[in-house]
Amino acid sequence: MTETTETTEAPALVRPGPRRLLIVGARRKIAVELIARLLDDKRVEKILAVDEGPCPPGLLGHDSGRFMFRNASLDRRRQVDNLFLFEEFREHPLDTVVHLAFAGNPKGYDVSRHEYNVNAARHLLDASLRYQIGKYVFLSSDAVYAVGPRGDYKVSEDSELNLDPASPKAVRDIIDAEFLCRAKMDHRECEVMVLRPAGVIGGGVMSGLNLLFESNPPVLPIGFDPMINPTSKERLARDIQLALMFRGKGLYNIAGPTAGPLSRFLEQRGIEPLRVPGPLLRQANRLQRLVGQTRYHAEYQPKRLFYSLVLDDTRFEAAFRAHAELLELRGPSS
Amino acid sequence: MPSLRPDLVRTLLPERERERVEAYVLEDAGQGTDVFGTSPTGIGNAYALAYWLHRYYFRVVSAGHEHIPHATAAVVVGNHSGVLPFDGVMVSADVFRHMDPPRLVRFMVDFFVYRMPFIGTLFRSLGQVPGTRRNFDGLIEEGHLVGIFPEGADALGKPADDRYELFPFSHGHVELAARHGVPVVPYGVVGAEEQQTVITNLQPLARALNLPFVPITRTFPWFGPAGLLPKPVRYFIHYGEPLLIDPAVLESIEARGREVERVRDAVREQIHRGLEARRNFVADAGDKEDSP
Repeated sequence: MTETTETTEAPALVRPGPRRLLIVGARRKIAVELIARLLDDKRVEKILAVDEGPCPPGLLGHDSGRFMFRNASLDRRRQVDNLFLFEEFREHPLDTVVHLAFAGNPKGYDVSRHEYNVNAARHLLDASLRYQIGKYVFLSSDAVYAVGPRGDYKVSEDSELNLDPASPKAVRDIIDAEFLCRAKMDHRECEVMVLRPAGVIGGGVMSGLNLLFESNPPVLPIGFDPMINPTSKERLARDIQLALMFRGKGLYNIAGPTAGPLSRFLEQRGIEPLRVPGPLLRQANRLQRLVGQTRYHAEYQPKRLFYSLVLDDTRFEAAFRAHAELLELRGPSS
Repeated sequence: MPSLRPDLVRTLLPERERERVEAYVLEDAGQGTDVFGTSPTGIGNAYALAYWLHRYYFRVVSAGHEHIPHATAAVVVGNHSGVLPFDGVMVSADVFRHMDPPRLVRFMVDFFVYRMPFIGTLFRSLGQVPGTRRNFDGLIEEGHLVGIFPEGADALGKPADDRYELFPFSHGHVELAARHGVPVVPYGVVGAEEQQTVITNLQPLARALNLPFVPITRTFPWFGPAGLLPKPVRYFIHYGEPLLIDPAVLESIEARGREVERVRDAVREQIHRGLEARRNFVADAGDKEDSP
């Protein structure tokens, strides 16, 4: 009885048919990794990658029959609409949209960045619903969570958000873009998903945590050692791939496999931090940026180096990672 | 420059106690700590110091350990006093020392502690977590003993005139215990109230510094931070029978108030037992001195 249930229900988890994906924000390191993974999967028929500027070197070698790179200004509604009208997708239209194009760098964050971030999310989502896209995935950030001494040991999806009026504009815009997605989560045809990843370490990515680790040296406050559960570029790409290939919608945390104090992760990589008194942290960071020894912005998430933020991704684990094997077994190649 | 060797603290422990520390099972979250940030090294070093304080400084006399569950979750609730929370340290050390296998009471700690450099990190590495509902749920779901001071951190600054008078209890512990269906183990600590004599509490200064209290004692601030250290008074700790909380507390504010009073009465009873034990102890000691 149980076996019958498993065999009938398990395949239903995987979205039927080949995938034709639109990936915006293709210049991000995570996008390059994700595209490489997706192109290895025979179930992925075609990928349209979009960003401002030239195609990154990491994407140049892909099979041109399955991969296209295009330029577009995502804050322009017309240009976003045009992405769904390419001749290559006339017969077999796009069925999945992955929105990675969020400019979170607080340096020079102005109205144009705000418009780009929020309007891109709005235009892309509107167009996705109009063109009957089956799945829309927005990659958010763990920066949306409020961090402080009242922190929970694990932060679940319904935890308090960082709605502090003093929080950086980039964080407020991520929350804004998330809310646009959440307002459409009950759509019948399109599965709208928001993924909140933990900080990524390694792979040259532009995450706050990785920029801290790449600093020379990382400057931390004396007497604080927050708990974190960072992920890697490879793991994050795999998690997004699972989210794209399986059925499911809603809001999910995604994190690394282990949790521990920040100092342990630094130790493992042989990095010796410099400790300064907490009140001097921002000034020390500013000075370090000035002399070109870091790209990390302590202002972006000022409390992250003081208080723990461990994401609880139990829901994602149960809904997606637990069935990862099923995805690898299925498909034309097997 | 020679580096600090905190592991040497463990040499304070007798061999048998070191084995107990090693026997304590901590679920590794992958980086040598559990997901709450508790580390075996932190617990080992802290227990070494706490054991020394428990045995030689506060010379703790305790009873009623049979009421503490051996393997399942429970809420451990008692009185609070003494300016610095040595009562919590002694209850944790006492339970760890007398339970087999050893168990750690993880107290729900006021948030202000985690704003302080070193102290917050230290508390976390010892298994003491910020007092949020989610943290409570997580600890109970993983089968821990969760310690709560329902009088709040304000009770640490209890004036000498109010010794062994309980402040009103907050309601959270009965609601959470009922929601998880776990018992409340009441305990009373006698001795902590005498470790410091609080003359008054500078409330305006406490508010300005965002602290629960700023005490004036016979020794603080006159002797600086050293004036906060406790006198070597003997502690008497008594644990009472576990109380099963009426599930009606989840539906009725009257039932909740009633159950909170029941827990408060149970804690008061354990305090009276402790006071009586202390009187008998002093009388016995006096008899021994009088006898030829």
